[in-house]
Amino acid sequence: MNQVWHDFKSGIIAENPLLRLMIGLCSALAVSTRVEYGIFMGIAASFVLFSSNIIISAIRRWTADQIRIPIFITVIASFVTIVDLVMRAYFYPVYKVLGVWIPLIVVNCIILGRAEAFAYKHSIMRSAADGLGMGAGYTLVLLVMGFIRELSGTGKIILFGQTLVSLGAGFEPPSIMILFPGAFLTFGFLMALLNIVQSRGRS
Amino acid sequence: MGEAQRLFFLFLGALLIYNILLIRFIALCSFFGVSTRMTTSIGMGLAVIFVMTMASAVSWVVWNYVLVPLHVGEFLYIPAFILVIASLVQFEEMVIRKISPALFRAMGIYLPLITTNCAVLAAATESVKPGFLKLHIPYRFSFIESIIYTLGVALGYTIVIIMFTAIRERIEGAPIPSSFRGFPIAFIVAALMSLAFMGFAGLFGL
Repeated sequence: MNQVWHDFKSGIIAENPLLRLMIGLCSALAVSTRVEYGIFMGIAASFVLFSSNIIISAIRRWTADQIRIPIFITVIASFVTIVDLVMRAYFYPVYKVLGVWIPLIVVNCIILGRAEAFAYKHSIMRSAADGLGMGAGYTLVLLVMGFIRELSGTGKIILFGQTLVSLGAGFEPPSIMILFPGAFLTFGFLMALLNIVQSRGRS
Repeated sequence: MGEAQRLFFLFLGALLIYNILLIRFIALCSFFGVSTRMTTSIGMGLAVIFVMTMASAVSWVVWNYVLVPLHVGEFLYIPAFILVIASLVQFEEMVIRKISPALFRAMGIYLPLITTNCAVLAAATESVKPGFLKLHIPYRFSFIESIIYTLGVALGYTIVIIMFTAIRERIEGAPIPSSFRGFPIAFIVAALMSLAFMGFAGLFGL
């Protein structure tokens, strides 16, 4: 049980897929313009990660080594198709915004990376915990980035139609933050911040 | 607007205005991962141009002559395209190794890596479903248009990754705060480049 908890926890900070392993960046930078999109994208990716990790771990004994990559991709593509269709049916406005990023979850390096590096070698329980932890770490970074960019770029946070935080009318938002360069800037500074925190912790 | 002129705008739009790396954030893992040395960037760029154009052409044919007539396009396009890409990569690896060992060495390990380069799947998807783009062009690409569009995307990828590598090689020796060394400063560089590329928006009123 301890091991399972450790696998879950390591995905959030120590092996955070975005800030530490530097994988799955594309979708994270693109959809983090608003907190709301971060929530949807985070849930979608976590669901695919969790389910494909379980299936790949379950069939690992019968998977031939030479053709494991096509098998992984097929398993992942099936779950992505489920997400694709469900989101289009029930959350169409968000689906339109997230657009190409939903099919691109297939080639999101986090998912194939975890299938290859973890699920293929570990038990179902540990793989499920790893999938959940990685998904949570991914979602967490999306939420933090979405919060920074939406707040500074538009002056307020709107979640499901409700205004949560507002900086007031006196604040003139620099719209560059919700545009493309803002994503790179925010992420660069987040990584630098994490570096500072870690080097403080060490010394 | 003449046909040739429209194709040219489509090409430029894919190359600069909707640059796949800096404006649309696709394929960033490889962008930051391989851009530490010039030789590897050039190898990756070559491999991307090669695989992406082939993948889009084959995906276009699969979509228009197999998936759409069978009415399974909406459900099966993701697995179908990714299998097309994965097998193409394998196939091209064998062909290039036979025909041009020098090119094979230049591309090296980047060929297999391309299977998970999201730019290839994105270009393939968009060559049959351009609805994701906000370009002022007809909804369905013809075969020629999808090739031209993909070439623009692939060249845009290559140009930007080479420029970015040149900057990163220079920045190695620059005096920057230690917490910004490595990846954080690379992201700041990308932010500035992206800012510059935003200037292309509005070119020709596209």
